[in-house]
Amino acid sequence: MFDSVAIIQITASFFGTMGFCFLFNIRGNKLWLAALGGMLSWLLFLSLESIVASEGIRYFLVSVCSTIYAEILARILKTPATTFSIITLIPLVPGGALYHTATFAMSGEATQFLEKLIYTVELALALSLGIVVVTAVFRYTKRFKKV
Amino acid sequence: MEKNNTYHLLSSILKILKMMTEAGAEIYRVEESAKLIFASYGFENIDVYATTSNIIISVESEESGIKTHTRRIEKISTDIEKIHKLNNLVRTITQTTPDYAFIEKEIEKIENIKKYPTIVNIAFYGIIAGAFYFFFGGRNWLEFIVSLSIGLCTGVLNSFFDKLEFNKILAKFLLSFVAAIIACALKSFSVVSHLEYIMIANIMTLIPGIGLTNSLRDLFAGDSISGVLRLIEAGLSALAIACGYVAASVMF
Repeated sequence: MFDSVAIIQITASFFGTMGFCFLFNIRGNKLWLAALGGMLSWLLFLSLESIVASEGIRYFLVSVCSTIYAEILARILKTPATTFSIITLIPLVPGGALYHTATFAMSGEATQFLEKLIYTVELALALSLGIVVVTAVFRYTKRFKKV
Repeated sequence: MEKNNTYHLLSSILKILKMMTEAGAEIYRVEESAKLIFASYGFENIDVYATTSNIIISVESEESGIKTHTRRIEKISTDIEKIHKLNNLVRTITQTTPDYAFIEKEIEKIENIKKYPTIVNIAFYGIIAGAFYFFFGGRNWLEFIVSLSIGLCTGVLNSFFDKLEFNKILAKFLLSFVAAIIACALKSFSVVSHLEYIMIANIMTLIPGIGLTNSLRDLFAGDSISGVLRLIEAGLSALAIACGYVAASVMF
């Protein structure tokens, strides 16, 4: 189903996310669940490649799914969803896009620079919007129950 | 409730809120926690205004009259375990409404919470940089080692800057600058050939992903001021990282 490139990426995304769990002081089994979430995010991103053409929309969809994963785990483990919701998206953080933006800025290629800059912002927005939408839905369903 | 009690209670609970904000909790969580806690103690007219730089709280009860208290937030970092523990404490308080002595004791426990030792953090800077080297398409073991070592260097420098309480933005600039200098130097000596993968992997360890998402979350939750403050900080960090890389590359 996946080629060797994908398998390397998926493995690397697990270790990359795990690294951030340590930096953000996530402990116990939450650490492994968060790292697993990061890996699943990338797996989903790769699986959607053939279905959804636009990268921005794919980022948004992955962000939505991983935030749902975070909210559900948070309910089960009685912890704020923040524990999982940002960390599981680490593999999707547009570091590459930021690098290319800087490279084009340096070489003075204005058009490509702007293109990459907009692309970076677009990806960051797609990620955040996914989180925001799901968080809002979970927050307000909780309130509806009270009302 | 006696007057003295209210004073201590207010002070302890503000301490909790301050710790929450400094551990990187969302603003709405801080405000909501405050409202829940004070409501469970039977206070009226509870007004909380929290931003990422200060918290103001005003409560009213028949015995103690109107009490207002404010705290300045100085340094925000990300400590998920602390948020988790504080969240549990808030839940306990709202359910059992204990006296302030109990709360103080719990706060002290949380303040002394274990963090991963610096050496572990540094090691994971290296591991992140190594993992993302492969992630972004690198396939060379020597370059992997280089990327990992640069990650270790940024980790060491970062913990050094942390101890110095160095300006955050300037620290990001210097970290990215040092990483880029090492990578570019190795490239010009032809030790490595894929500068791109190594640099992206090391940018990943610095990038303000959490700040950005938190800022947008605050913005959409209606806490515009905190959202904008965080957004500006994240934007400046990203700019500093890019500038650090550019400044180093220009030298080669």
